[in-house]
Amino acid sequence: MRYLARRFAFYLITAWAALTLNFLIPRLMPGDPAQALLSRFRGRLDPRATEALTAMFGLNNESMWSQYRTYLADLGKGDFGLSFTFFPTPVGTVIMDSLWWTIVLVGIATVVSFVVGTLLGIVAGWKRGSRWDQLLPITTFFSSIPYFWFGLIVLFVLSGELRLFPLSGGYSSWLSVDFSWAFLSSAFKHAILPGLTIVIASIAGWLIPMRNMMVTTMSDDYVVLAEAKGLAPRRVMLNYAARNAILPSVATFTMSLGFVVGGAVLTEIVFGYPGIGNNLYQAVINEDFPLMQGIFLIITFVVLLANFLADLVYVWLDPRTRVEA
Amino acid sequence: MSAEAIADAVPTAQPGPKASTRSRFAGLRSAKTMTGLVMFGVFVLAGAFGPLVWRKDPSALSNDILQPPSGAHWFGTTQTGQDILAQVLVGTRVSLLVGVTAAVLATVLSLLVGLTAGYVGGLTDELFSALANVFLVIPALPLVVVLAGYLPTRGSLTVAVVISLTGWSWGARILRAQTLSIRRRDFVEAARATGERPIRIILFEILPNEFAIVASSFLFTIVFAILTQAGLAFLGLSDVTTWSWGGILYWAQNNQALQSGAWWWFVPPGLCIAVIGMALALINFGIDEFVNPRLRVQKLGPKRARRMPMAKSRPLPASRRTDVVLEVTDLHVNYGEGPDAVKAVDGVDLVLRRGEVLGIAGESGSGKSTLAYAITRLLRPPGEVVSGSIHYWPRGEEPVDVLRMSADELRAFRWAELAIVFQSAMNSLNPVLTLRVQMADALTAHRPGTTSQQRDARVVEVMTMVGLPADRADAYPHELSGGMRQRALIAMALVLEPDVLVLDEPTTALDVVVQRQILNQIMALREQLGFAVVFITHDLSLLIEVADRIAIMYAGRVIETGSASELYRSPQHPYSDGLLRSFPHLHGPRKVLTGIPGTPPDLRIIAPGCPFQPRCGQAIAACTTTMPLLLATTEGHQVACLLTQPRSSDDDEL
Repeated sequence: MRYLARRFAFYLITAWAALTLNFLIPRLMPGDPAQALLSRFRGRLDPRATEALTAMFGLNNESMWSQYRTYLADLGKGDFGLSFTFFPTPVGTVIMDSLWWTIVLVGIATVVSFVVGTLLGIVAGWKRGSRWDQLLPITTFFSSIPYFWFGLIVLFVLSGELRLFPLSGGYSSWLSVDFSWAFLSSAFKHAILPGLTIVIASIAGWLIPMRNMMVTTMSDDYVVLAEAKGLAPRRVMLNYAARNAILPSVATFTMSLGFVVGGAVLTEIVFGYPGIGNNLYQAVINEDFPLMQGIFLIITFVVLLANFLADLVYVWLDPRTRVEA
Repeated sequence: MSAEAIADAVPTAQPGPKASTRSRFAGLRSAKTMTGLVMFGVFVLAGAFGPLVWRKDPSALSNDILQPPSGAHWFGTTQTGQDILAQVLVGTRVSLLVGVTAAVLATVLSLLVGLTAGYVGGLTDELFSALANVFLVIPALPLVVVLAGYLPTRGSLTVAVVISLTGWSWGARILRAQTLSIRRRDFVEAARATGERPIRIILFEILPNEFAIVASSFLFTIVFAILTQAGLAFLGLSDVTTWSWGGILYWAQNNQALQSGAWWWFVPPGLCIAVIGMALALINFGIDEFVNPRLRVQKLGPKRARRMPMAKSRPLPASRRTDVVLEVTDLHVNYGEGPDAVKAVDGVDLVLRRGEVLGIAGESGSGKSTLAYAITRLLRPPGEVVSGSIHYWPRGEEPVDVLRMSADELRAFRWAELAIVFQSAMNSLNPVLTLRVQMADALTAHRPGTTSQQRDARVVEVMTMVGLPADRADAYPHELSGGMRQRALIAMALVLEPDVLVLDEPTTALDVVVQRQILNQIMALREQLGFAVVFITHDLSLLIEVADRIAIMYAGRVIETGSASELYRSPQHPYSDGLLRSFPHLHGPRKVLTGIPGTPPDLRIIAPGCPFQPRCGQAIAACTTTMPLLLATTEGHQVACLLTQPRSSDDDEL
C-alpha cells in the first residue's frame, strides 16, 4: 500500500518534528525560562529535581547537539524526566495514569460526534432548502461556544442545581479502579457531562462540511444517473451521494480532531476529570515544565495515531487510494 | 490525508462564464451573510467606542459587591464591585484585537507559504507543504499552552503572535492548492509567457482570484484566535490583569461566580465569544456559497422532481399510430422564474417510433441536453418544465404522461422503460463502487425478486454484449479506460432492456476510432434488441449516418426536422446547412467546411423575429419581426424558416 506507506512516513516525520520542537522551545524561548524557574524554586526543590531540570534544559554547558542526542535517547527509553508537581514520580507514569481516561472519554465523544454530525449533515444536505437548514446556525452557535464555558454552565445547572450528575472527577472516590459494575457505572455517570459537552461543541465541525459536500456531490453526474436508474431515494442518498461526500470529511479529520483535542483538554479541567488535560492544567499552574512537555508529546503522538486510523478508513472507503503504482 | 484529497475537498473558485456578476455575488448578499456582518459590526463598534461611552473603570473597586444587573450597573458587578459591562466592553476591544492581530499574522504567513509553494513548485513546494502539514497535525492548543507556559511576559500581543504561529497552516494549505490550480490557467500562463515578473503575476493575477479563500480563512482564524486566547486566559496563561473575555471568565471562575449565583458575571463573556464566532461563521457561509455556486440554496431537492398538475394534462388523440413509443408535445422548459426566466426549451414537439433512431442536433446552448433531462425528469432547479406533455406508450397499453407520474410511478418507469447515457463517462460512474454493484442495484430496485446469482448473470450478459470482458465487473471506474467506461455505461443502460435509450453526446469525449466502435456497437445492439434511440449530439454529420430521422434545434426550438437522407440531400434551414458544413463527412463528396459565423444567441435577451436571423446570411427584412413556425414543406419534412415558407421562391438559391 503505497498510499499508507507515504502517510506513515509523513507521521514519522511529524513525530520527529514534534520531538524537535519540544526540544527547541524551552531553549529558544526569550528570557531563559528554565533558569528563571530554577532561581524561583531555589532551595525548595529536591536536588535531584534540580539536576534533572538542569540536564533537561541544557543548563549544563553541553553542546546543543549532544543535548539533542541525550534527549532523543532518553525519550527512546520512555524517559520523559521527573514531574515536580508529583515529585518524584516520572512524567511517563503520571501521564500513563491519566491517558486512558482521556482516550476513552475523548475517543468515544469524538466517534459519537462524528457519526451523529455526519448523519445530520447527510440529511441536511439531501433536504437542503428545507427546515433542516436550521441546523446550520444552531450547531454553529454551539461550536463557537468555548468548551470550558459551556461545560461550566452545564455543570452548574445539571450537577449543581439539579443534582443529576456528579460534580467532578472520573469516578466516585471510594471505589477502586477495576472492572467491577460499581466502578464502570460510576465512571460512565461521571463521563456523561464532559462527553456531552465535547459532542455538542464539536458536532458542527462534522455537520457543516458534510452538508456542504452533500450539496456539491448531489449535482454530480453519478448521483443524477443513480436517480435516472430509478433507485430508491435512500440508496441514492447513502450509496451515491453520501458515500462520496464523506471522503473529504475523513480526509480533513486531522484538523477537526485538533480542535476537539484542544477543547477536550479544557473540558477535563472544568469537570475535574482525571485525564491528561487536567494534568496539563496542574503542570501549567505549577510550572512543571517536564510534565507540560511530556503531555504535549503524548497528545501529539495519540493524535498522529488517530490520524493514521482515519487514513486506514479512508483507504477502505476510497478505492482510488488503493492503486498499486 | 493526502494533499490531493485536500485539493479535492477545497472547492476552487471558478464561477462559470455564464454566471452574471449579479448572481455571482448573490451568496455574499444573502440573509445569512448580512446577519453575520451586522453582528460582527456591532462588536467592532462596541469594542471601538463602548469604553468611551460607558465611562466606568473596569478595574475600579466599589462597595456594590456582586450586584445583579441594574440601572447603575447594566451587567451587574463582580465580587469586588467592579462594573462588568465596562469589563466586557474593554474585553471586546482586547479580544477582537488579539483575534484580528493573530489572524493578520497567520494570514500573512499562510499567504507567504501557500503562494510560494503553489507558484514555485518543486522542492520548495515539497518542503513548505510538509511544514504546513506538520503544523496542521500537531494539536494547536497543547502547543500554544507549552509555548505560552515558557513566556516571561504574556501580554496580548505576545499571545496573538503565539496563536498565529499555530494557526497559519490550514490557510497555507488551501492557498497552495488554489494557487496550483490557478497557475495552470490560461491567463496566468499568458502572463508568464509575456515575461511578467513572478511577483507581479502573484500579486495581480493570482491573488485577486484567491480573495474569497483568503477572506474565509482570515475570519476562521479570528474565531480560532479568540477561542484560543479565551482558553489561555482561563488557564491563567495570559495576562489576566488586562481585561479580555477570557480574563473575565478567569476571575469569575476563580471567585466561584456561578456557585454564588452570579450568572451575570459568568454568562456575558462566553456569550460574546459564541455570538462573534457565529457571526463570522455566517459570513463564511456566504463566502462558501460564493466560492462554490452549487451551495446556493435552491428550494427543491432533486428527488422532488416536480410533477405537473393533473388538470393541465392534454388528452391525446385516442387512436394514434401504434408504433409511437415516446411523444413530446409542446414542451416548455424554463431556467428561473418570472420575467428573468430563460426559455431553454420553447415549445418542442417530437415523436419517437419503436426501434427508430431519432437524432437531435444543435450547438451548445441550443437546449438539446435540457430536452434530454426534461424527458427523463432529471432537471435540477432552477430548470423546470413549465408546460407540455411527454407521453410514453408501454407495449400494447394506454399512453402515460411522464410529467404527471407520481414519484413511485416515475421510479418504476425510469431505467426499466427509458435509460440514459450521459456525455461524461468518468463522471457518470460512482467512483467508489464496482461496476457490478452499480449495475446490479438497478436490477435490485426494479426486479426485487431476483437472486444475486441471477443479477450477476445479467451483469455478465450485458457486459459481454457491449464487448467488455466479464472479469471487469469487479473493477472500479478509475481502473477502466475512457472507452471501457462508456461501454460500461451503455451496458448499464441495457441491463433492464428499456424501450427507449437516450444518448446525450455519448461519444464526444472519446477519440474518433473508439467513438466509431462504440457507435457501431450501439447500432448493432439496437438491431438485436429493438430499442428506440434518442441521439443527442452537436455532430450533424454523425447523425446523418446513424439516425433515421433528425431534429435540429436552435435557441430552444426545433427549426428543422425530417428524415436523415432528406436533411442531408436538401437541408432547407440556413442553420442546418451551416451545421452540415461545419463537419467533414465520413462518406460522400468533399465539401468546403465553412461553419456558421457568430455565436449561439443569449436566451436571456428576447427579441422578436427569427432567433437565427443575426447570424443568417440570407435573412430578409421579415426575419427581424416575424417568428417563423415549424411548417411542413414536403411529407415528413418540416422547417421553421420564412425563406421556405409560402411566399418564398428563392429556395433554389440555398
